[in-house]
Amino acid sequence: MEIFEQLMGGFATAATPINLMWAFLGTALGTAIGVLPGLGPAVTVAMLLPITAQVEPTASLIFFVGIYLGAMYGGSTTSILLNTPGETGTMVTALEGFKMAKSGRAGAALATSAIGSFVAGTIAIVLLTLFAPAVADWAVQLGPPEYFALMLLAFVTVSTVLGKSALRGLTALFLGLALGLVGMDQITGQVRYTGGVLEFMDGIEVVLVAVGLFAVAEAIYSAMYEGRTVSTMNRLTRVRMNRSEWKRSWPAWLRGAGMGFPFGTIPAGGTEIPTFLSYATERKLVAPQHRAEFGSTGAIEGVAGPEAANNAAATGTLVPLLALGIPTSVTTAVLLTALQNYGLNPGPQLFQTSEALVWALIASLYIGNVMLLLLNLPLIRLWVKLLLVPKPMLYAGIMVFATVGVYGMRQSVFDLFLMFAVGMLGVLMRRFDFPIAPVIVGLILGPLAEAQLRNALSIGEGNWSVFIERPLSLGLLLIVLLVLITPRLLAWRRRA
Amino acid sequence: MNPMDRSPPSSPPTQPAHSSHSVVLQVLLSLGVLGVAALLAYGATQIPSEAGYAGIGPNFLPWVVAAALLVCGGLLLHQALTGGFQDLDEASGAPRADWHAWAWVSAGVLANASLIEHIGFVLSCALCFTLAVRGLRIAEGKPGGGWMGLLRDAAIGLLLAAPVYWLFAQLLAVNLPSLTATGWI
Repeated sequence: MEIFEQLMGGFATAATPINLMWAFLGTALGTAIGVLPGLGPAVTVAMLLPITAQVEPTASLIFFVGIYLGAMYGGSTTSILLNTPGETGTMVTALEGFKMAKSGRAGAALATSAIGSFVAGTIAIVLLTLFAPAVADWAVQLGPPEYFALMLLAFVTVSTVLGKSALRGLTALFLGLALGLVGMDQITGQVRYTGGVLEFMDGIEVVLVAVGLFAVAEAIYSAMYEGRTVSTMNRLTRVRMNRSEWKRSWPAWLRGAGMGFPFGTIPAGGTEIPTFLSYATERKLVAPQHRAEFGSTGAIEGVAGPEAANNAAATGTLVPLLALGIPTSVTTAVLLTALQNYGLNPGPQLFQTSEALVWALIASLYIGNVMLLLLNLPLIRLWVKLLLVPKPMLYAGIMVFATVGVYGMRQSVFDLFLMFAVGMLGVLMRRFDFPIAPVIVGLILGPLAEAQLRNALSIGEGNWSVFIERPLSLGLLLIVLLVLITPRLLAWRRRA
Repeated sequence: MNPMDRSPPSSPPTQPAHSSHSVVLQVLLSLGVLGVAALLAYGATQIPSEAGYAGIGPNFLPWVVAAALLVCGGLLLHQALTGGFQDLDEASGAPRADWHAWAWVSAGVLANASLIEHIGFVLSCALCFTLAVRGLRIAEGKPGGGWMGLLRDAAIGLLLAAPVYWLFAQLLAVNLPSLTATGWI
């Protein structure tokens, strides 16, 4: 079996001491980031992008993906103990997990979360191993029109599926696209929107926008509005489950993994939908004697299922990234930037041109998953200690790291000032409920989508019908229309 | 009881309105979006439209984005003027901003940006840390410590900035500015 041989080759690379060290650093850092409020995996990877100048690609990607996965594990800890979800994917965990913690069963919630994430993660990685190469093989038939349609789908889903207002989501998306327009046009070399400012010639740095909108905005927002917000932490009990909790958990894990992985692979906006779906499913399927626990003392299925779904979905998002070169979440978009920094062209060819790297990365996922289980079960008290760091120190410290990330990319003081301005924009967006993810996805994917659009039209010799003549691209465009129209249609019918 | 003796019903002290519901701010925000759209449209007129094979040139997407932002800004303005943004999830935190705290944090970030290439990463970030911590503590209502507190924060800032600098500049070879040529500060 060819896949098996390639995977073994990947393990040989991933298990070298250096790469093991990077995997450990990544997963540990990711867990810490997930536990701590204020930072997420996307902005952490963004801040650390400057290392791509020196560190070789396999190692840094193992490191970054380790951070991504680690944050998924760590985020559940905060959701359960503090009721403040670190990641959107762990929002649902906060529902039941926090309730369990309040009734003194924090340990069981944490245990089911960690073990469930491991089980679901392993299942998802196996599926990734089997499917990603197949998708990459099939994707060779995709041409610029199909890629453009896929990117359009990614744009539309990230702006309109999450969050309350599609209008605000789309506004954020177009702002991101506008930011992506600044600089030199790839195809004609035409300079756009620099306003004579030299620093804009190379475009606006992704790290700057990500760090500004997330980290800097978070610190400034906290200073402006959240000084008096007090979060109480639940007591940490022993992290283990009894027999009945195991019995209730493992079917939920499997269901969660089954739901999470497919959603992760499609451009459906990431990990929120499958976790909510899993929660609703577990609520419906729970045995009658435990039904009352939902929403009151906390039902363990309500933690087990969504956590598994979350982890499986996060791993699933790596499939379109590696096989198609299409990011479906903010973190994968930043990972795409990391790949681009190395001059690696993400897309189906990645499996051919950089076979060793991709399989080492996939092998490292297995290793990282095991590391995360070890980091999160016995060592959990260590991470919980992190939550004792006073918030002012935490956020001020984040500013220091933000400076590293932004200055480290282009050695530009102008970038630091711009980062502040973007930070204020982020505060504004947060205050008025404008989602931030579409800005990042628009910024990163925008130039790529434009290139695909122009290539597509070149193929069609200037005819827009090229999109409709090819069945796959037509199908994708119809799905885009459906995603745009259906919510409005349903709301209109409900009102009528 | 004398019906003429009616006293007005006592109402509970009202909280200041959440600033995200303020019509003025929402209108300003929408006008801002329209302003960006106008800027994009102006910029797009400066971009030549050499189309080549594709039939669309480098000015196509700028026009599309400008037009889209115009529509979005218009719809936002309409919503703002007819009852406020729809489906607005009230943002977390206080109804009004603490501008005093904001000033300290912003001073930290801006001072860092201005000074980093003059006094090096370590000192500049330590300063940023000190000012930002003070701002965030002010937000919590406990500025704490006077001069001693400031010194202690500065010390912590140095203890954080220096190892970070050594890690990134020495170990990971990220290009960060330094005060001296030794590479350690």
